[in-house]
Amino acid sequence: MRLSTSAIYQLKVQNLLEQQAALSKTQSQIATGKRVQTPADDPVAAAQLSKLADTQAQAEQFGKNSALVTNRLQTEEQALADAHAVLQRTRELVLQANTATLSDGDRTSIATELKSRLDEIMSIANRKDANGEYLFAGYAGGTQPFSRGQAGAVNYLGDSGARSVPVGAGLSVQDSDTGSHVFMSIPAGNGLFTTAAGATNTGSGVIDAGSINSRGAWVTGAFTLGFTSGSAWQVTDSSNVVVASGNYTSGGAIAFNGVQVSIIGAPAAGDTFTIATAGTRDIFSTLDGIVTALQGGASNDALRAQLNSSLNGSLQQLDQATEQLLTVRSQVGARLSTLDDADGARQAQLTDLQISAGQLVGLDYAAAVSKMSQQTVALQAAQQSFASIAKLSLFNYL
Amino acid sequence: MADMLSTGVSGLLAFQRALDTTSHNIANASTDGYSRQQVDLVTRSTETLGNSRLGTGVDVATVRRLYDELIAGQARSAGSGFRQFDTFSTYASRIDNLFSDAATGLATTLQGFVSAVQTVATTPSSVPARQVLLSQAQSLVNRLKSYDGSLASINSQISSQLQSEATSISTLAGNIANLNGKIIAAQGSSQQPPNDLLDQRDKLVGDLATHVNVSTLAQSDGGLSVFIGTGQALVIGADAAKIATAGDQFDPTSVRFVLQGTGPATDITDALVGGTVGGLLQFRNQMLDPARNSIGQTAVTLATLVNTQQAAGLDLRGQIGKALFAVGAVNVLPSSHNLGNAGATATRSDVAALTTADYQLLYDGANWQMTRADNGAAVTLAGNGTNVSPFVADGLSIVVSGTPQAGDRLLLQPTRGVVAGMSILLTQPEKIAAAAPLLTSAAAANTGSATIDAGQLSGPAVWVRGNYALSFTTATTWQVTDASNAVVVTGAYSAGAPVTFNGVQVVISGVPAAGDRFQVNDNVSGTGDNRNALQIASLLNKPVLNGGSVSLGDNVGRLISDIGVQTSQAQAGRDAQQIVMNDANSALSSVNGVNLDEEAANLMRFQQAYQAAAKIIGVANTVFQSLLDATR
Repeated sequence: MRLSTSAIYQLKVQNLLEQQAALSKTQSQIATGKRVQTPADDPVAAAQLSKLADTQAQAEQFGKNSALVTNRLQTEEQALADAHAVLQRTRELVLQANTATLSDGDRTSIATELKSRLDEIMSIANRKDANGEYLFAGYAGGTQPFSRGQAGAVNYLGDSGARSVPVGAGLSVQDSDTGSHVFMSIPAGNGLFTTAAGATNTGSGVIDAGSINSRGAWVTGAFTLGFTSGSAWQVTDSSNVVVASGNYTSGGAIAFNGVQVSIIGAPAAGDTFTIATAGTRDIFSTLDGIVTALQGGASNDALRAQLNSSLNGSLQQLDQATEQLLTVRSQVGARLSTLDDADGARQAQLTDLQISAGQLVGLDYAAAVSKMSQQTVALQAAQQSFASIAKLSLFNYL
Repeated sequence: MADMLSTGVSGLLAFQRALDTTSHNIANASTDGYSRQQVDLVTRSTETLGNSRLGTGVDVATVRRLYDELIAGQARSAGSGFRQFDTFSTYASRIDNLFSDAATGLATTLQGFVSAVQTVATTPSSVPARQVLLSQAQSLVNRLKSYDGSLASINSQISSQLQSEATSISTLAGNIANLNGKIIAAQGSSQQPPNDLLDQRDKLVGDLATHVNVSTLAQSDGGLSVFIGTGQALVIGADAAKIATAGDQFDPTSVRFVLQGTGPATDITDALVGGTVGGLLQFRNQMLDPARNSIGQTAVTLATLVNTQQAAGLDLRGQIGKALFAVGAVNVLPSSHNLGNAGATATRSDVAALTTADYQLLYDGANWQMTRADNGAAVTLAGNGTNVSPFVADGLSIVVSGTPQAGDRLLLQPTRGVVAGMSILLTQPEKIAAAAPLLTSAAAANTGSATIDAGQLSGPAVWVRGNYALSFTTATTWQVTDASNAVVVTGAYSAGAPVTFNGVQVVISGVPAAGDRFQVNDNVSGTGDNRNALQIASLLNKPVLNGGSVSLGDNVGRLISDIGVQTSQAQAGRDAQQIVMNDANSALSSVNGVNLDEEAANLMRFQQAYQAAAKIIGVANTVFQSLLDATR
């Protein structure tokens, strides 16, 4: 084909410009380390990269959430551990107070120490987290959860909310427990029933906390164990129907409706004990009750028996409270280990995401550098051949 | 003998013409649009001497330019196509670069906002975390505005470029008509082709083709008629039409082309393809407007989700949340051709059904009809367009007003103006509604297995705040009492059915027992509650757009990949079209281009021929001298 002179130059120059543009593109890929410079270079990769960045930001946010939740749960666990220690000490004191050799004065001083333990528990229950939020107030983090009302009883002013925080895709962890769950709703007695001695008892009979023979046979209600004489007992229900009766021996089992209690000592005729379906009882009223009982004094056998009965019940109550604390603590521990697992999984995920992002838009340096030297050689060759071809003209020979 | 002299002279003259033409070719070797010329020689008519016929020399028949109308037409339309792709890809690259910065990109800023919401959900009572959320919301709005602003400024650049394109086309048309006049006159007077004028005209037509695709028709008098679009005459003989610009009937800032010829002015915008104009129009329709609408769709969805959920929660002070984002309204643009005074107000009633399209409402004399502006597809309208029963279609709720005449049109732009009108309405961090409004619980002593859900406000406006107890009077009937034990409402139990009272709605399911109690409390002091913030965060990551199939982040990703695909297609198309154009240009230049080597050879050839012809005169002189000598 016939070629015009200007077309020869134009095509060659255009060719050179294209090679230069390609070289410059490879160079900027090497300079930035990115294969995809703009979405047009690889639209699919660009869109996927934006999705990956989303996932990565989310994972990082989950990491931050997890750190905050871990911190709060650790604070809670410490509070629970402290409360547990206080309860242990309280139990020792109650055991000490329950020995017969103590004087009223001894018991009063134990009561004084118990009061300060009570204050300690109150302050633990009103503890705040690092953000100044009350740990055990539920959603009402700005409200002090426990305070004494006018009647002197401790009230729970928080609510029943428990915040759950997402720490992974589809994984949320509760970052607190409500005060009502930890300190207030503690099963009374042995969980099924409570025992108590009548306030007007004149004998020295002391009732224990009782045990369960057959949970299914228990009938909900309040039952009165009365002594018709010092050696005969009968159990009546709330409408005075006799449920069971028998002859009394100290320490002998008194069983009815699937439960069993025993009384030690010498009850008098007309003494009564109540065995009632258990509700819930909070830690504070349990401790209040112990203090009141110890301060009441035990100047005679009858009063001493009543005190013993009451302290027996309280010990049971303290055990229930301790168990509740331990249950919550183990739940907190489980949550912390969930967080650990989630952290591990997240680290793996983040590494994965980085690798994927690298594969999507990252540059294969070896390939890019060899491509660049290839393009450089090609451009040089084109320039040299252009220069030598441009010299050729018939006019040189005219 | 005398003939030999005149034959020699005829050769001298002919080769002088040839040398002149060759030097003209050499001089114009680099002139744009120049076609090489060639001298056509013919032998003179013979004369009869006795019984033999003798040649009498050579004549110059014509000086002809080498040109191929067919190949030139192909090169022109290839050039026109290249310019269209080139313009499109140049502008596409600008948008592409705009969205290439991953670190400051829209997706990152959006995710930053979601992360800030999640931080508030983790520490709802922390005011600094809430402050961060407000700052992130502000920077998200700024980012959206910066993208929308950049796209809007590209749009106004296109408008002003289209205006100067119209001027260029009109000027070129005028010049072509002018040359037509000269060519017709020159051809009429000498019957010889005015080669250089023809070159100039062909160059102008080629220039015109870089602005917009043209077709031509040669007339017998030497004139060239030029048509644009779908055959609208731009130049006929020495007369040229004008291309003017006018505002769109709906949007006066959107430039359209109007042909002002001998007949009535006609809008030819939609018929224009090829060249810079074709590229600009195609870019505006296919890339710019959809990108702006898509950003608007993302923005309005974000704002609606957050605002709706804000209104369903309580802020740090226990008050019902207020809207966080303000957004621009739906643009309703009546046509300037409307005869009636019809107008409309449109609101976005369902962001999930919202599309990125614009819509036209047409009154046919009895009813309003709606079509998509981008593809003309009909959209079914529910309702009758009144306040009571507005038209509902594609997530819009439209109330028409005024008295329309048949043929009146309204243009609806549901997402175009969203970002421009966007702002942050909350300034106090406490106002972020992180808490749920209600706190429900079941009494510990309940003996049935029924459970209560978290509850929600069925009517925030009619919510009577306070604590309520829902108790089962029997296993199948319930009553709701307020804090002072007054009965608010009673009802029969149906598992899973919502119980609604005083703006509150709760759902109880399972088997309740008589005496069971559920508390439905006002969560006014729930400063540590994060449920509503969690809800906001989860909505932002949920697929809610396009009928619940695309999340906000996905929508941004889709926009980016759309832009990438279109840009890379435009670049590939441009590269392919460049090859086509180069081939066509090579084919044309192989016909009409000057090759200097060829001209150098011609120069030598014609020089030798001229010298030979001069020798004839010398020989003729010698021969004549010999005759004179013989007779002396």
